[in-house]
This record gives sequence, C-alpha cells and structure tokens, in this order.
Amino acid sequence: MKYVDEFRDGDLIRKALDEIERLCEDGRQYRIMEVCGGHTHAIYRYGLQDLLPDAITLLHGPGCPVCILPMGRLDDGLELAERHGLTFTAFGDMMRVPGVNGSPLEYQARGVDVRMVYSPLDALKLARENPDLEVLFFAIGFETTSPSTALTLMQARAEGVENFSVMSNHVVLFPALKALLDGPDCRIDAFIGPGHVSTVVGCAPYAFIAEDYGRPVVVSGFEPLDLLQSVTMILRQMNAGEATVENQYTRAVTWDGNLAAQRAMDEVFVLRPHFEWRGMGSIPESAHGLAEAYRPWDAEAKFDAPAVEVAEPDEARCGDVLTGTIAPPECPLFGKECTPERPVGALMVSSEGACAAHFHYAHVEDLDILA
Amino acid sequence: MTADDLARLGTCTLDDESCSVCGDNTVPVRVVAEAEPGLVTVEDRLGVRAVVATAFTPDARPGDVLLVTAGVALSHIPAAEPVQS
Repeated sequence: MKYVDEFRDGDLIRKALDEIERLCEDGRQYRIMEVCGGHTHAIYRYGLQDLLPDAITLLHGPGCPVCILPMGRLDDGLELAERHGLTFTAFGDMMRVPGVNGSPLEYQARGVDVRMVYSPLDALKLARENPDLEVLFFAIGFETTSPSTALTLMQARAEGVENFSVMSNHVVLFPALKALLDGPDCRIDAFIGPGHVSTVVGCAPYAFIAEDYGRPVVVSGFEPLDLLQSVTMILRQMNAGEATVENQYTRAVTWDGNLAAQRAMDEVFVLRPHFEWRGMGSIPESAHGLAEAYRPWDAEAKFDAPAVEVAEPDEARCGDVLTGTIAPPECPLFGKECTPERPVGALMVSSEGACAAHFHYAHVEDLDILA
Repeated sequence: MTADDLARLGTCTLDDESCSVCGDNTVPVRVVAEAEPGLVTVEDRLGVRAVVATAFTPDARPGDVLLVTAGVALSHIPAAEPVQS
C-alpha cells in the first residue's frame, strides 16, 4: 500500500513527535479541540492521543451533524413520511439513527417508503422520474453537504419539480464554536479547524476565534502527519503568545473557499433564529432553513411538521464531552447503557461521534462492560 | 496526475460506506470526460467511476482533480497544478 505513505511514514511521525515534545513548555498544558467527525475518527483510529506528550489533550468537539441532531427532528421527518405517504430519502448515515418510534430502516420495515441516496441530486432525480411519488429529502450536515442541497433546490426550482421537498437540518459551524468559547467552563486553548468544511467556507471565517478570543486555529488535513503538523503549528503559536488562523491543509483548502458554493448557500438558505443542538442546547442562528423563494420545496411548510420534542436523558453527559469538560469514559452511561448498538446519548449515535469512536478504538480498560 | 496524487487528498473512494454527513468521505477523483452540461464523469484512485455535478467547479476539465461530497464537486485542482505534500 503505497498511496499515503508520506502521511503515515513512521520516521516522519517520530520526527513530528520529537518536535512536539520539544515544543511543550515545562508545566504547561495544551488543550486542543477538533470539531470535525473525520478528525475525531482519525485521532482515535491512529491512536494519536497516546503518541502525544501528557501535556497535550485532544478534545473532541461537535463535529458530527448526525450526533448533534435532536431526536425530535428525525421523528418529525419520519412522521411526515408515514402520515402523508411520502418517499423518505436520506444519506446512508441516517438509516440506523434511532428515533422515538424507530430508525428510518425500522420505518421501512413497517412499510414506509424509505430510500438511501448518495446525493440530494439523486432524490430529485427520483422525484423527476416518478411523478406519482412525493419525495422528501432529509437534509443534514455542516457546510460540506449544504452546497449539494442548495444546488438540488436550485435545480428543483428551475425545473419546477413540484413533487419534491427538503427538510433542512443543515447546521452552521461558527455559532457553535462561539457558544463553546462563551461557555462558563471553556477549557479550550486552540482549535484544529475542519478540513472539508473549509474547502467550502475557506479560512477567513475563523478569524473571530483568533481576534476576539485569542485562540489559535489551524485548518488541518486528515492523515496522522497532517494532524501532528497541525498540533506543532498550534504549539508554536501558543508558545509565542500569538493567535492567528493558519492553513495546514493547503493541498485542498484555499483562504477564500469555494465562492460559487457560498453564493448558492446564500441564495437558498436563511439562518434559523434558533436551532437545538443535541447535547449543547439551543444556539442562535446556528442552522439553515429555506429562503422564502424556496418555500414551495420546504417540507416543514408544505406538510406542517409535527415538531416532536424529545428530552435528552438526564444521565447522558454529552454536553460535557462536547465542551471538553469530561472524556467519554467519564460519562456514567459510557459502554454500559450507552453503546454504538444501543445509543442513549448523542455522541454514540454515529461512528464519527466522540463516544462511538472512543468505544471502537480506545483501550479495553475504558470499557467497563468488558471487565 | 497519479493515484498517489489523488491519495494525498484523501483515501476515500466512490463506493466507500463512510459518513457522508460529516464530509470526511470527500472523495478525490480525476475528471475523465464531460458527461453533459454541468456534469462530468470522474474516476477515483481505484478506478470506480461516477457522474458528479460541477456547478461549483465550472472550470473542471478532463485530467483535473476534484474533491467530491454528496455527488457535487467542491474543490478543483487543475491537472497542471501539482498536488502539494
């Protein structure tokens, strides 16, 4: 296997770790948060935390849109589909996510027309080719997936496809970062910025974190050496008492991002006044609803969504994990009542969630269920 | 542009079953041919082909590299431009 040798090369990794060790100042702690499910997964998969000096703690923030989606939203979408005889379409990642009355796959088993799509464009195609179907696309994701939904809605509107609608659960990263930084117990020293979100939004929007909160941000790639190099860049900034936005992932991310995708999102979406983040509570202007011109394709307007509210279990400490206050095994439910097969809390829902990643890759001694 | 160049941008392939929602399965692909207006046929490093939208990367041409999420190209690296390590 030759492809990514340069980013997983043992000698290069050792050199990067030596440099990180050298950069750690005596008695100083460095608490660095990543806010991308892909980064969280890579950190656990490659055991990077174990390779780093004790002075560095990697915190796993709200980087997984499946995990932070309130249960009631999925229930709303599935209820709409069942009640109105809709064809419910969604990414494969959503298919096993549990709602109050079952996952999409369990609804499918009860006779609801549930179909997995790779792209919202596929859902639109399904509607276009089957005028007798009423197709709902359950849209979810950060700014990486929002452009594909925006493009799909622009095409639906241009073609006048009337048997298609979108239930938007697209979330916006930056208000969540601000909420974390404004939190009373914020213990975050710096951020590893998400690589693929940044292909769309660029690096400029992170400036407020450096300028207003004095925290360094380094946009990073996903390979082990990418992440270690990003840690090195953060340490250098912190040691110099600086806080700027840097781009480690220059092979894919530009400073301004993809302007055409940003324009499409601006045309199709408006910010919702508030949106509930599972584990974090309501965050102002943190999600995308559909603009007025796209109201005919807004499933929540078209079908009068039931607005199911589901309370988060009291014992689940998802919010404390997301803010870096505790590590996943410190939650009393971790690995016992709450497992990837039967998730109770938000972060166990998707494989990209911090608790699910910890469960799959962490040390056996962390899993009491195996003791 | 080689398979190594694609892999420098990520190891996901078009038939991966990883998490699209988180965007970490953004797939590096090479443009093989223009399919129809706004669409191109692409190939990943394992040779799997798909048709993806280029509304946000309108200058994509055969030989160029794209990063694709959910059937839409979000990032464009012209063939003449080396992929940085």
